[in-house]
Amino acid sequence: MSLIVLLAAIVLVVLGYRFYALKIDREIMQSDPKRATPATMYQDGVDFMPASASVLFGYQFKSIAALGPIVGPITALQFGWAPALAWIIIGVLFFGWVQDYSSALLAMRNDGMTMGGLSYKLISPRARTLLLSFLYIYLLLIMGAFGAILGPVLGANKVPFGFLMIVVAGVLAGQMTYRWKVDLLWTTVITVAIALVGAWVGTIPAIGGDTGIVNSINHLAGDAEGVLYATPYGDMLWSTFLWVLVMMAFCYLGSVMPIWRFAQPVNYTSFWFVAISVVLSILGITIATFTGSVNTSFQVPAFVTLYRDNLGPIWPILFVTIACGAVSGWHSLVSTSGTARQLEKETDVLPVGGGAMFTEGVLAVLALIMGVTLIAKADGTLIYDATKDYQLVYGAAGVFAGGMSRFMAVVGVPADLGLAVGSVFLTVMGVTIMQLVIRFMRIASAELLGDRIPAFKNPHFGSVVAIALTLFLVYAGYWQWLWVLFGGSNQLFASLALLLVTIWLAGQSKRYIWVGIPAAFMYVTTIAALLWTAWLALDKAFIHRAEGMTTPFIIGNVISIIFALYMAISAVFLLVDGVKAFNQARSSATAPAAGD
Amino acid sequence: MSEQHSNEHMEPEAEQEERQTFWQKAKGAINDYIYGMAAHEMTRQALKTRGSMEHLFILITMGDLLGVPILPPYYSLRLLPYVVPQISTWKRRMLREKDLTDALA
Repeated sequence: MSLIVLLAAIVLVVLGYRFYALKIDREIMQSDPKRATPATMYQDGVDFMPASASVLFGYQFKSIAALGPIVGPITALQFGWAPALAWIIIGVLFFGWVQDYSSALLAMRNDGMTMGGLSYKLISPRARTLLLSFLYIYLLLIMGAFGAILGPVLGANKVPFGFLMIVVAGVLAGQMTYRWKVDLLWTTVITVAIALVGAWVGTIPAIGGDTGIVNSINHLAGDAEGVLYATPYGDMLWSTFLWVLVMMAFCYLGSVMPIWRFAQPVNYTSFWFVAISVVLSILGITIATFTGSVNTSFQVPAFVTLYRDNLGPIWPILFVTIACGAVSGWHSLVSTSGTARQLEKETDVLPVGGGAMFTEGVLAVLALIMGVTLIAKADGTLIYDATKDYQLVYGAAGVFAGGMSRFMAVVGVPADLGLAVGSVFLTVMGVTIMQLVIRFMRIASAELLGDRIPAFKNPHFGSVVAIALTLFLVYAGYWQWLWVLFGGSNQLFASLALLLVTIWLAGQSKRYIWVGIPAAFMYVTTIAALLWTAWLALDKAFIHRAEGMTTPFIIGNVISIIFALYMAISAVFLLVDGVKAFNQARSSATAPAAGD
Repeated sequence: MSEQHSNEHMEPEAEQEERQTFWQKAKGAINDYIYGMAAHEMTRQALKTRGSMEHLFILITMGDLLGVPILPPYYSLRLLPYVVPQISTWKRRMLREKDLTDALA
């Protein structure tokens, strides 16, 4: 069943690319290989540098694929695998690639402008200000959601040592490459070997066992005395918070140290670690399907419920929960600021921007398969509780790591090591994005507040403030709501990117309905999801508060309400300005718009 | 004449490209793809750092060209011949309107 679903998804994606995406690229956008691109026109060796399509495809895919396409589908499985799978496929085919591709082309045809400049030019100055404040909250939610999800993963006994060894190997890679001038091949072999051996050492009893060093650290951190505080959805542990602190220390170094010294070489070593894990897992899935050595049949029903107590109704919640697996605003940021300034030819936009999104859709289906085939762990620990309508009672990231471990076992990787590798894989996928986000939040706060509060111009101060806000969000927030809020803000950002493209197309007298409908649908869906989450948080914290709920839980809910309402209200203002700009663009267009 | 000359040079390259088998092309694309995921960002950052330093150096030495005199013109003039090839791209980058979201690149 798993292989059939995976192959069917690949076939649909290929058909979508061939018969829908290519048609739009040729007939509506009329991409022209001879038209000069910003990368060739403004080549300055800093911001604008041309690169080949195959290189940029890899760059774009790596930049957009993080925890979103993995955690989203596994969480959404609580509604059943059929609606989750349907939205991944429909989302990728009619929303996701449209946004990634069209925002890259929009930036290219506007001299390589990024989202802030484009919203200023195409909508209004207020739109730019709103977009930037919205962006800061969106990034904070990325930090909160990723931190809350990865804390328990990193806190598991067998994981931290492997993660720390990857960091050490990464720093060594930077030193070997830039200071000792060692050949890159040798650097890669040595540092990746250190990372892999580190993951293995982390599983030996003295370190990762029940009486090992990591367990002792967790006990010392406070686990021996009980939980940090209780929530209706599970306990917040002291050890979770401790390992989130470790992740934040990593992000701090990534934010303030020279990029060549820390962030880039750690990303480089992590890439090889992730690539090896993925290859082994795919090999395992393929062999397991033919030999039947691992259960690959679906264990969660096709359809479970239309309404979940812990999340809300299937519409709009399922759509924002799947997040980057279907459509994501993060991609428009990558497409406009990174990729659009490197594309050599206009005809490369579709294979790079669109192609990377189609591939990410396949990754989301793979994550869904990992979740749907694993309802309980080997030791009997429940993952989806059938007695509670298949509620996810285990961390989504842990589910993926467990799935990877099962499939890697098929090719001979011991189960303990497989689980450690899968968990380290997820941790590095998350923290490499998180360190970039903290770096950007630091720059954004310096730019937005530096004149009023000069301390924000200090990189250490800006980073510490961003980290403190993240820690507070992780401490007080419930991960599934943080995920929904992150998904909501992420897809609202996507709808705003699509709105920008719609306005631009209307002004160019081009057919805009293929962008306008996804923009409208995502806008309504995400606003509904944000308002629903605000209501749910209000209900759980004040109206129907369960007994024994502590102050942090209530504060976390209040923050969720404030964020959700702020984003919904600012999106309404953006829409008002956007509609005005759209009407103006239509009336000033040189020929009648074909999208009418 | 010069066009004809350049065409003569182009033909062997085009032929060579055509002669590449499907597998050779696929291998090249996979290599590029892996490089794109693993090392492109590193390379780009290194080039960006070098480019930024060069532009900063030109700003200090040739600031007069943008109305920001930093170095006495005598030294600027002595350095000018070495900087000439980069002046247009440098000026464009210095004077281009920038946005906060550019920092994400």
